[in-house]
Amino acid sequence: MFQLHGWEALLFYFLAFMTLVMAVFVVTARLAIHSALFLIATLVEISLLFILLRAEFVAGVQILVYVGGVMVLFLFVIMLVQTRAEEESRVKLYNSQSVLAYIVAALLAASFYFAVYPAQTAFRPPDNSASAAVAEEGVAGQSGTGLISKDTQNVGEALYRQAALPFEIASLLLLVAMVGAVWLARTTKQEKKGYE
Amino acid sequence: METLAFSILQSFYLLLLQTPAESRLQRFEPSLVNFMMVSFLLFIIGVAGVLSRRNIIIIFMSIELILNAVNLNLIAFSRYLQSSQEIYKQSKNITVSPLTGPVFTIFIIVVAAAEAAVGLAIVISLFRNRETVEIDEIDLLKW
Repeated sequence: MFQLHGWEALLFYFLAFMTLVMAVFVVTARLAIHSALFLIATLVEISLLFILLRAEFVAGVQILVYVGGVMVLFLFVIMLVQTRAEEESRVKLYNSQSVLAYIVAALLAASFYFAVYPAQTAFRPPDNSASAAVAEEGVAGQSGTGLISKDTQNVGEALYRQAALPFEIASLLLLVAMVGAVWLARTTKQEKKGYE
Repeated sequence: METLAFSILQSFYLLLLQTPAESRLQRFEPSLVNFMMVSFLLFIIGVAGVLSRRNIIIIFMSIELILNAVNLNLIAFSRYLQSSQEIYKQSKNITVSPLTGPVFTIFIIVVAAAEAAVGLAIVISLFRNRETVEIDEIDLLKW
């Protein structure tokens, strides 16, 4: 069974706590730009959690695509559409259904608790050492020789062998999204130019 | 009174002695449930943000939080499944593919990037026409 020991366990609790705190700050920040910076912190911490789970490739993709791409896009849009209205304290940040929203969120949390609590013992690592030895061997075989992880190789092989068609469809989706974004964000001047 | 307190302390001490030090520490080591808790709390925070905020850009960021919660859940499940793959095969004759989690995560990241690009383009064109990013002022399609 995969298990985090010692310092890794401590690091997990620290990262989990910081992720949740930063996520709360994302939702409650007054200015959109602060929200974006807190979201960057959350994404970096989630990628560190991925590294704890030995998913190095996904962690790298998370940093490159989310922090390097999507968040820069967010910051550009915040720069373009800032109204400076939120800096005044009288502006409403939450809509009229916010109390209802928190009740719904609390109900979701309660439903998760009642769903997981009976099953909690099932997720505990098994005590018999024979199966644990087999699992350790499997993990060691996956991680390859030496310190270099084989995670990237495994994910790449899975992407190109088992998921080749969805991979191509994803590239097409990105192309369509790019063209659509450019088409949607034209100015009226550019629009008129296009019709002539 | 003192004897009662002493006996309580003694029983605690005996409890601590009875459980070996390793298992006492192991009880606090994170397992799949802890990763599920983190991802679910992240999901709930995202849901609360989507439902309660007025700024449309912050709503988009909450959607990113939700997608990241799903990613974390997928990766945690795939990793814990990978380490018990052999056990599943031997005891229950179930073949599992632990790489489905990372592959799905990469597709989710791709879809999130596309969604953010198109959504933010819509925000820009909306701001150009209506001069607002507050969702309760954008009610043209409401009856």
